[in-house]
Amino acid sequence: MPPLLEVDDLHMHFFTRDGIVKAVDGVSFSLEPRETLGVVGESGSGKSVTALSIMRLIPEPPGKVVKGDIRFRGDSILAMGEKEQRKLRGNRIAMIFQDPMTSLNPVYRIGKQIAEPLRIHKNMSRKDSWDAAVELLKQVGIPQAADRARSYPHEFSGGMRQRAMIAIALACGPDVLIADEPTTALDVTIQAQILELIQEIQARTESAIIMITHDLGVVADVADHVLVMYAGRAVEFGTADDVFYRPLHPYTWGLLESLPRHDVDEKGQLCPIKGQPPSLINLPQGCAFRPRCAYSQGVCTMERSGLVEITPGHFSACQFSGDSGFVEKACGFLSRER
Amino acid sequence: MSTLLKVESLKKYFHVGQGLVTARFSKSVRAVDDISFSVEEGETLGLVGESGCGKSTTGRCINRLLEPTAGSIHFGEIDVRKLRAGKLKHYRRDVQFIFQDPYASLNPRMTFGEIVAEPLVIHRFGTKKDREERAKEMLKTVGLSPEHIHRYPHEFSGGQRQRVGIARALMLRPKMIICDEPVSALDVSIQAQIINLLEDLQEQFRLTYVFIAHDLAVVRHICDRVAVMYLGKIVELGGWKEVYNAPCHPYTQSLLSAVPVPDPEKQHERARIILRGDVPSPIDPPSGCRFHTRCPIAQFPICSDVEPPLDIVAGGQRAACHFAKPFPIPEDKM
Repeated sequence: MPPLLEVDDLHMHFFTRDGIVKAVDGVSFSLEPRETLGVVGESGSGKSVTALSIMRLIPEPPGKVVKGDIRFRGDSILAMGEKEQRKLRGNRIAMIFQDPMTSLNPVYRIGKQIAEPLRIHKNMSRKDSWDAAVELLKQVGIPQAADRARSYPHEFSGGMRQRAMIAIALACGPDVLIADEPTTALDVTIQAQILELIQEIQARTESAIIMITHDLGVVADVADHVLVMYAGRAVEFGTADDVFYRPLHPYTWGLLESLPRHDVDEKGQLCPIKGQPPSLINLPQGCAFRPRCAYSQGVCTMERSGLVEITPGHFSACQFSGDSGFVEKACGFLSRER
Repeated sequence: MSTLLKVESLKKYFHVGQGLVTARFSKSVRAVDDISFSVEEGETLGLVGESGCGKSTTGRCINRLLEPTAGSIHFGEIDVRKLRAGKLKHYRRDVQFIFQDPYASLNPRMTFGEIVAEPLVIHRFGTKKDREERAKEMLKTVGLSPEHIHRYPHEFSGGQRQRVGIARALMLRPKMIICDEPVSALDVSIQAQIINLLEDLQEQFRLTYVFIAHDLAVVRHICDRVAVMYLGKIVELGGWKEVYNAPCHPYTQSLLSAVPVPDPEKQHERARIILRGDVPSPIDPPSGCRFHTRCPIAQFPICSDVEPPLDIVAGGQRAACHFAKPFPIPEDKM
């Protein structure tokens, strides 16, 4: 049986006046029901563009998929017509957007916005869909749901708006839920509530989740598998344990190392990754991370290596990841490693 | 070490509602409501809390970007609230500000050189040539190249812009810098660069920092002492080790337990306290202890009737809770 969702060597480029922006330049992963994939990387690494490509929400032009495919239960989403895509979007594949302040329509009542996908995809009547919306609001933990469904977005707090967004995404019981930085705009205590809610819903509905975030703590909390992205490319992929305890790629090491330690009483200097992320128009030759990498060698300028399976299920795009001596020596700093 | 900044019973209310006629009946947002703390010379005091707790307002009151409603602020021997015009300007030489958003806080029509030299222009230091020299030097100090003085902000990334914001704050050789969320708009790898820079500069220029942030891990790393704020009040204040390893106030405890740690196993094993509901409105804050509406250990009627004072508790820090008790988070659970 084909996987639930499969992204296969996706290249999404933007054709701008300044040149071709290679926002996503070769990303592959697949997703099964009940699985949570964490996608991490810095701003501009292509995380959100990958998500929007799956939803087909990238305007074309300027965007264009120049290579690769996205398949849902074996059917290519890219080959579908607009009508078929609409049947998937918001129905089988739903998305929670980053900013709960701007992604809700300010002039419609919350209840109506939650009912909208039900009216479109399930042909429910006004009345039935409204009742279902109230039920959904209850499920996402909004008290006095029947009254609050009549509120407008500005009457909700940030946490409540994010809950309403989740209710919209859940309305049709999607198979795949894409959460793009769902908690970045929220305070930590509210973030904890929302993450708990998402996990609870997943346990109930058996949907697959793609959790896009730059917060490694959030990934550690929810993800089964982790995809690390850098400059539009996947640099490491593996189970959460693999990526956190036995990371293979120098960029992943850099990310883990630059976090303030939460478990030591001595304060040392932080170890940032030096330099700046590269421009996506003008990527360095060879490995995109080379100019910032502490371990780069001549061979790194020559060619860019794709993801290679180093141990079963654990992939890295670094030339030297296969050399276990190198990996051991270089990431000896990681006391998280066992 | 001597006390550099002493804040006592500081209050800042914002009036909501408009017009002369309605002013008498208007309500006020109690953004900061009677807080006291002091900052020693050379230390870093962290102000943490969720959005709307009053941490930024406190920072702005300290250098009089906002006029406090009540209370006193002393900077060394100076009574900050009494300063007028020229003297206030002079005071602000010593107390500089680094802003959160490196995109909004730099004028897009000025070059880096002009931005960094502007404090010198305002305070009438040196000739144009001297100022340019000092600007170049300062850009070098913060890790940029002196040639960058002719470049504009849009040519640079967030991290580089924040370096310019820091250079500008340092130009007048201040004694204290108020850093308002200086790294929260930056990516983690860049965030670490800026934190290291701030630490190096603190040593080099003998600076005192008031560090405002919502990211508890960053505050833990950079601060000597930490004040945790909730709805305009300080609920816990103490050395970072005490506050992080043995928090006494239930709000601090839940705040710390809510931060996900980048370690799957520990994250799954941790005991978590998840608070219910949202922060109440500061227009009409809850009576008694302001946290009682969300508190997991609140007892009635005492918590809803009597406001707990910020008293010294077991660990040596201060906490404002009737039932303050250490809640050590064991090392392996963190």
